[in-house]
Amino acid sequence: MGLSLAQEMAARGYRVLGTGRRAPADLPPDHPLDTYLQADLSRPDEVAAVADWALAQTGGRIDVAVLNAGLGYYRPLTAESATDIAQVLRVNLDAPLQLAHALRPALAGGALGLVGSVAHRSAAGMPVYAASKGALDGFGRALAEEWRGDVRVRVLHPGPVATGMSERAGRPRNLMDSLFLSPRAVAIALLDALLARRGPDRQVISFLRVGRGLLIRGLTAGGR
Amino acid sequence: MRVLLTGGSSGLGAALLNACVARGDRVTVIDTARCPDAVPPSVHWLRHDLGSADMAGWDAIETALAGQGPFDLTILNAGISATGRFECIPLAQHQQISRVNLHAPLRLCMLLQQRRAFARAGRLVFVASLSCYTGYPGAASYAASKDGLATFARSLRAALRRDGVGVQLLCPGPMDTPHASRHAPRDAKPGRRIAPDRVARLVLGASRRRFLLLPGPGARLAAILGRIAPQAMTRIMGRVLFDKLKGRLS
Ligand SMILES: NC(=O)c1ccc[n+]([C@@H]2O[C@H](COP(=O)([O-])OP(=O)(O)OC[C@H]3O[C@@H](n4cnc5c(N)ncnc54)[C@H](OP(=O)(O)O)[C@@H]3O)[C@@H](O)[C@H]2O)c1
Repeated sequence: MGLSLAQEMAARGYRVLGTGRRAPADLPPDHPLDTYLQADLSRPDEVAAVADWALAQTGGRIDVAVLNAGLGYYRPLTAESATDIAQVLRVNLDAPLQLAHALRPALAGGALGLVGSVAHRSAAGMPVYAASKGALDGFGRALAEEWRGDVRVRVLHPGPVATGMSERAGRPRNLMDSLFLSPRAVAIALLDALLARRGPDRQVISFLRVGRGLLIRGLTAGGR
Repeated sequence: MRVLLTGGSSGLGAALLNACVARGDRVTVIDTARCPDAVPPSVHWLRHDLGSADMAGWDAIETALAGQGPFDLTILNAGISATGRFECIPLAQHQQISRVNLHAPLRLCMLLQQRRAFARAGRLVFVASLSCYTGYPGAASYAASKDGLATFARSLRAALRRDGVGVQLLCPGPMDTPHASRHAPRDAKPGRRIAPDRVARLVLGASRRRFLLLPGPGARLAAILGRIAPQAMTRIMGRVLFDKLKGRLS
């Protein structure tokens, strides 16, 4: 989804900076990134490095920050380990918190999008992941109010997306997968929701919404 | 009855500890504070900083829990906060809040469930906050941790029900504790806050089948309003609370 988000933003004319754990050589060939930094967001020192790099690269002015990196494991609590719990909470909650803290001055007048999940209310199959996204939702809820008028903060909760995350999380493939949305369609709906001037602070990027977005695009493209 | 309680040295935790001891429970406490001199022999006090990643400390907790359980009642109560503008609160405090309020309870639950330390027909109580319904501008990392706990509690319910364990979520509004007075706006009226003893009685007396515990009519009303109009509720919190808290740290 990060790749789709970057592509969609580049198409809309943004200069896009991106980060991830993989080496630059392992980035997908069709990535649109202007600059890339390899960093592991489960390590607070590397999160700090990402913030410094972003500030230096942009001269301290960021129009849009999308905190999308995330992971989780589809398994019961009995099958968890202390290390994995810490990793999921660090990447999905602590890193966004630290980045928001460091990037606040650069975001003045801009927008901060936190990528949550529909699991943020509850998910019996992945309790640790759900907890991390529930926490991110509560964080964004408070921050949106604190920063209102200065920085637009939105928490965007996608439903199931066909990105391979689900397989990486260890969930067996089933009929449900045919209902998964394409990352591109979700990326478009997510950006529309983040960039719109008006709208609630926390939004579910639902099936219907994505469908409506595609329909409107199709109609306007057809009319041109 | 065997009880496990985190954060027993002050506020709600101290009230829970007193009430448990008074009814004859054997209580294991995990707390950063030193064991108070006055505790009776039915209390087993483990001194541990739940926010630390110290391996030896966690190993000691794991061994101790194995020896003390299974627990009929587990209350994950330990929590800290910081109030003010998010960006004016030092990052280290936000990180410690996340570790103590969220990382630690998840890790403890994992240990307890793996070691079968939740007794059948017992209860597991998460102490969250009314902020789960209202939002809490002025305490963004605290609100995050409590919403994370609430989601975790809802997610664990089914699995623990199969083990005969009732999961419960306590969402207290402002209580008359040292925590509340530290973090409330300066002109807040303590008289409006609920007494921790009352909340402790509610927790100890609650039926295993009830999931949500909302102490007092004020908290119940706020929860209903927060459910109907979540964003409006958070905006009101911004007006009545955050505008006052802002000045505290900056
Ligand atoms: N897929 C779904 O069904 C779904 C549904 C709802 C919400 N979401 C959320 O959407 C977001 C994107 O998910 P996705 O489906 O695109 O997952 P994905 O395909 O697994 O991609 C995850 C992204 O996060 C990065 N990442 C993971 N761990 C990292 C770490 N420790 N440090 C730095 N970067 C890290 C990865 O880059 P590297 O591999 O290079 O590190 C990758 O770009 C996540 O927040 C996810 O929770 C997904």
